[in-house]
Amino acid sequence: MRFQDWLNDPSKTILFDGGMGSEVIKRGLKPGKLPDILNIEEPEVIAEIHKAYFEAGSNMCQTNTFGANYLNLQNHKSEDKIILINLKALENIKKSKPSTALIVGDIGPSGVFRPPIGKASLEIWQVSYKKQVEILENGVDLWHIETISDIIEMQAAIRAVKEVSSKPIISSMTYKRTKRGFFTIMGDSLEKCVDIQSNEGVDVIGSNCTLGSHEMIELTTEISKLTKKPISIKPNAGKPRLEGGTKTVYDQSVQEFASDIMKIIDEGAKIVGGCCGTSPQTIKEIRSRLENRN
Amino acid sequence: MSTEKMLNEISDAIVSLDKDKALDLANRAVNEQMDLLEVVEKGFGEGIRKIGDLWDEGEIFLPELMLGGNIMQDAMKILIPHLKEQSQKISLGTVVIATIEGDIHSIGKTIVATMLSANGFDVHDLGADVPAERIVDEALKSGAQFIGVSALLTTTMTGQKRVVDILLEKNIRDKFKVILGGAPVSRSWVEECGADGYADNAVSAAALFKSFLNK
Repeated sequence: MRFQDWLNDPSKTILFDGGMGSEVIKRGLKPGKLPDILNIEEPEVIAEIHKAYFEAGSNMCQTNTFGANYLNLQNHKSEDKIILINLKALENIKKSKPSTALIVGDIGPSGVFRPPIGKASLEIWQVSYKKQVEILENGVDLWHIETISDIIEMQAAIRAVKEVSSKPIISSMTYKRTKRGFFTIMGDSLEKCVDIQSNEGVDVIGSNCTLGSHEMIELTTEISKLTKKPISIKPNAGKPRLEGGTKTVYDQSVQEFASDIMKIIDEGAKIVGGCCGTSPQTIKEIRSRLENRN
Repeated sequence: MSTEKMLNEISDAIVSLDKDKALDLANRAVNEQMDLLEVVEKGFGEGIRKIGDLWDEGEIFLPELMLGGNIMQDAMKILIPHLKEQSQKISLGTVVIATIEGDIHSIGKTIVATMLSANGFDVHDLGADVPAERIVDEALKSGAQFIGVSALLTTTMTGQKRVVDILLEKNIRDKFKVILGGAPVSRSWVEECGADGYADNAVSAAALFKSFLNK
């Protein structure tokens, strides 16, 4: 299996893709619409974004299925489309994929919370994720569970994948920085999260979203101290800003982001890419710096 | 128990998220005919402010913040009928709050609504995906002084401006303070909309709403 070979090759840094949501918005997604619906309505736009990332140098890209788990679709009154959305997502990424690259099944948060905020539980989450995993299993090479802010929800997602699939799992939580270190918004410490993910038997432990590339350097150092497993890091390109009432702007330059990514690799990341606000240009810049290093 | 000790115990009960104790003390304050306004402000209010500070410092997280707000609301349910008996005005003001049309992200807005309610505002939460027109209608109907509009998506933020524009069209802009919320909102966006303010989180939102009371 190619992914395991990449992980085992000490000289290899695996380049993931960058943001999908912000690329879709650039192409005029209507307010409030779930980007996952575009797999059906605008398949060529989604395929074009995947293609741009592969051409920019991504070794692997993820399906446009961040919001296509059962509970989140239910929030958007689209749960009846769960099969079609996920199948179309596979079709769209397969069209764009070079033969040497890999397809990553993307699994995002459910949008529902545990008490006292909401009514979700590990069991409820696991059932929801399992429905999505069953649909994607036949088309993906590995999994990326990302942007999760509750370690119990992460456990549910990991278990749902393992119920159905024996493919590798990257589990990626999202943290905020506090005076006492990195925590999820639900109050799970970095130590606790790394420990639980490790015990659940994931292949790669990572973090994405919320933090910008600069803060992710320190986070990578901290994760390296806590685990021997490979690390995946996908930072945001800073905080979005609205210009002229309609246009979303990320102020951080591609060069600055790529420089931080090089430091993140030095601190121990095996897989790097970008989250919100990053684009194929970002990935291209990282690819060229990776080539120059070797 | 002295008044001061009682107020400290109430505040401590909120900070330690001890619901039974907080509600027990609320009932006791009623039975002992304490000055309930003082109980709300210096007991429960002080507790919720401390919770807010702990959130700011990263000492507590979302579940504790919500739990504290919920306990405060339950305590207020005990106190408010008696406060009205004492013919004192409890509400700091009426707030109509909603997530704008096209945006179903309600968690941040709900947290702000809980915190405002815990801080003594009368809050009408219209939910998520609410058209700008309806937000204005409800604000007029309820006699609100404040309108809170949340948007998480940069694509739905324009609806926040629409709320202010409707108020201007109807010539009722000065009837309301319009506060914006949501991750992508910034100072410059507030200025562009002609809104009155924004806050980064639920705790500073409560402080912001209160700051308008003194003006």
